[in-house]
Amino acid sequence: MGLDKLLVISAALFCCGLYAILTRRNAVAVLMGVELILNAANINFVAFSHYVSRVIGGQIFAVFVIVLAAAEAAVALAIFLRMYATTGTVEIDAADQLKG
Amino acid sequence: MLNFVSSIQFSDPYFSVLLLLVIALAMSVGFVFLSQALGPKRYDRVKYSVYECGVDPITPAAVRISVKFYLIALLFILFDLEAAFLYPWAVLFRQLGWFGFIEMGIFILILLAGLVYAWKKGALDWQ
Amino acid sequence: MHLGNLASLTFFLPELAVTATILLLILVHVAGKSRYSAAPALLSLAGVGAALLLVALQPASPGRLLFEGMVALDGFAIFFKALTALATIVVIFMSMESRDLAGRTQTEYYVFLLSVLLGMFLLAASTDIVMLYLALELVSIPSYLLAGYLKGKESSTEAAMKYVVYGATASGVMIYGFSLLYGLTGTTQMAEIGRALAAGKAPLPVFLAAAMVTVGFGFKIAAVPFHMWSPDVYEGAPTPVTAFLSVGPKAAGFAVLVRFFYTVFASPDAAAGMWKLPPSVDWTLLFGVLSAVTMSVGNLVAINQNNVKRLLAYSSIAHAGYMLMGFVLLTPAGLKAILFYLVVYLFMNLGAFYVVVLVANGTGSEDIADYSGLGRRAPFAAVSLAIFLFALTGIPPFSGFIGKVYLFAEVINRGVYWLAVVAALNSVVSLYYYARIVKVMFLEDPKESAELPVPAFPRAVLSLLAIPTLVLGIYWEPVARVAANSVRLLAF
Repeated sequence: MGLDKLLVISAALFCCGLYAILTRRNAVAVLMGVELILNAANINFVAFSHYVSRVIGGQIFAVFVIVLAAAEAAVALAIFLRMYATTGTVEIDAADQLKG
Repeated sequence: MLNFVSSIQFSDPYFSVLLLLVIALAMSVGFVFLSQALGPKRYDRVKYSVYECGVDPITPAAVRISVKFYLIALLFILFDLEAAFLYPWAVLFRQLGWFGFIEMGIFILILLAGLVYAWKKGALDWQ
Repeated sequence: MHLGNLASLTFFLPELAVTATILLLILVHVAGKSRYSAAPALLSLAGVGAALLLVALQPASPGRLLFEGMVALDGFAIFFKALTALATIVVIFMSMESRDLAGRTQTEYYVFLLSVLLGMFLLAASTDIVMLYLALELVSIPSYLLAGYLKGKESSTEAAMKYVVYGATASGVMIYGFSLLYGLTGTTQMAEIGRALAAGKAPLPVFLAAAMVTVGFGFKIAAVPFHMWSPDVYEGAPTPVTAFLSVGPKAAGFAVLVRFFYTVFASPDAAAGMWKLPPSVDWTLLFGVLSAVTMSVGNLVAINQNNVKRLLAYSSIAHAGYMLMGFVLLTPAGLKAILFYLVVYLFMNLGAFYVVVLVANGTGSEDIADYSGLGRRAPFAAVSLAIFLFALTGIPPFSGFIGKVYLFAEVINRGVYWLAVVAALNSVVSLYYYARIVKVMFLEDPKESAELPVPAFPRAVLSLLAIPTLVLGIYWEPVARVAANSVRLLAF
């Protein structure tokens, strides 16, 4: 499995995640896009750690990114739950009280 | 792109994975598409209504899921990640000696404070 | 000087103090039956005060790398730790005073506040991209929760939602940039990445990585293409939280921006006494344009705002633009200008938000129209707000002017004249919307003529914020000297 194929995969994941963030209306779907981007970075880290680097710093970084992605998702879901409890919807279009 | 396709070798250990992926994709898409294209579509009111054990539907379709499920899932994720951090320490237990032990003890203590907080706030009560 | 894990602990005392305070807060809340409503505030005040004292006692002079190269202890880090600890103390006073926050359990609020403080301590000092990411998330995640703290108020939840979506996206893109940097150089230490990049790498991946990292940092300091969250979050969040976000994470964001770009994408040129760019990427032009656009957008959109918190949000976007001017210059004098500006900005901004809290306590409103006649209803608060607003504009006897002088002087010194012209025009434009509030306060009749009471303790804190704003406009030498010393030691 060459390094370039892994980089192509992670770039494809990054683009899928970015598309999800920019296009989806449901806030939870946007969060899924964020997770995709974070996992794309993880693939990058592990691939580089294997093929390029002499230290395993990349794999350690990947573990930390996984943990922080989970923590961030937990907090984001708590906020979305609060939004659902007050307005009954989780669509990001519904958050329009504060005009940009 | 063509370079990529021509670089696929039959001896590559992942070639079978690629074959599996392609066949699974082709079969699933193919079957759904075929059934949609070849099957008859006759609208019947009873056939398209919601199924509820043969009687007329009583409960509304959208069920309010209690927030307790979210709390349990959240606590599971966080303590699971704590366990994930304990694995590398467990692998190198001897090399890390007393210093590593005390360090991980402090880590677990901090998460224990979080657990006590969740417990006292009632997140672990089911009803 | 590199230090191992155990030896670094003696240099890590402020962070340990903050951590101990957080744990104590949780334990006291869980175990305590007493309903002293001020206990969490006093405990966190004690903790942050202890941390500030310990920071003042830390030795700046030989720069040390702690924890096997993860965290640095040099003058730069100590400066920012002191700055953020001071901001947190003022915000704790503000939170004790605010009526919005009064009816809720306070412990979680202070736990989040202190967690952000801990993150800011680590962010200003981190020298490894893993530590940087951890610290950045430690700053961001509790602040998402702080923004949404008023659970009943819909605008607060909406602010938190916008903040979390923006912040998660920005940090995801930034992490992808970090992965590219790791792949290019094979190491996660910022100093080694800088050396490898200075030796020459393919320009496109380096530029891409720099651009992605800029997204993450630009989000934190609310620079222009990444500023859209800032007005909504500042308006919806409780006012003490807004004040905290506008000073603390912004200062820490500047700290990490400077440290990251000057370590990774620049190398120290000892002969000329400044930094020089790596061969692949000229990010100074990019940041120069960002600075100009940020200033302009911040100032121009602030003109037709009616909510004072939103106006202050756009004004702090503009101030971030001014500070970015000093960032592109690659000289120690430019960095000294940024550090000095952050100090005076802390006093001015926190003071202005404090008055907003007091007025919201009394009238329940944050619209500029409801500030009419404040000069008659609450003269002390109105005069303080006028002082802070004129200082934010940058008018001569106030400290904001000196901050701007340092920035302008260095920009002109380095010959980036177009940026200085844009900044001067923007300062003129900003006078309009700051003076508008002063006009409404003093030259319009009040809607109700009842007096707005300002108790003694807020008066004391307001004076403590207003006095440096006045004094630093006349005698600023000690602060400037501290700022200059803090820059000289960032040599990793």
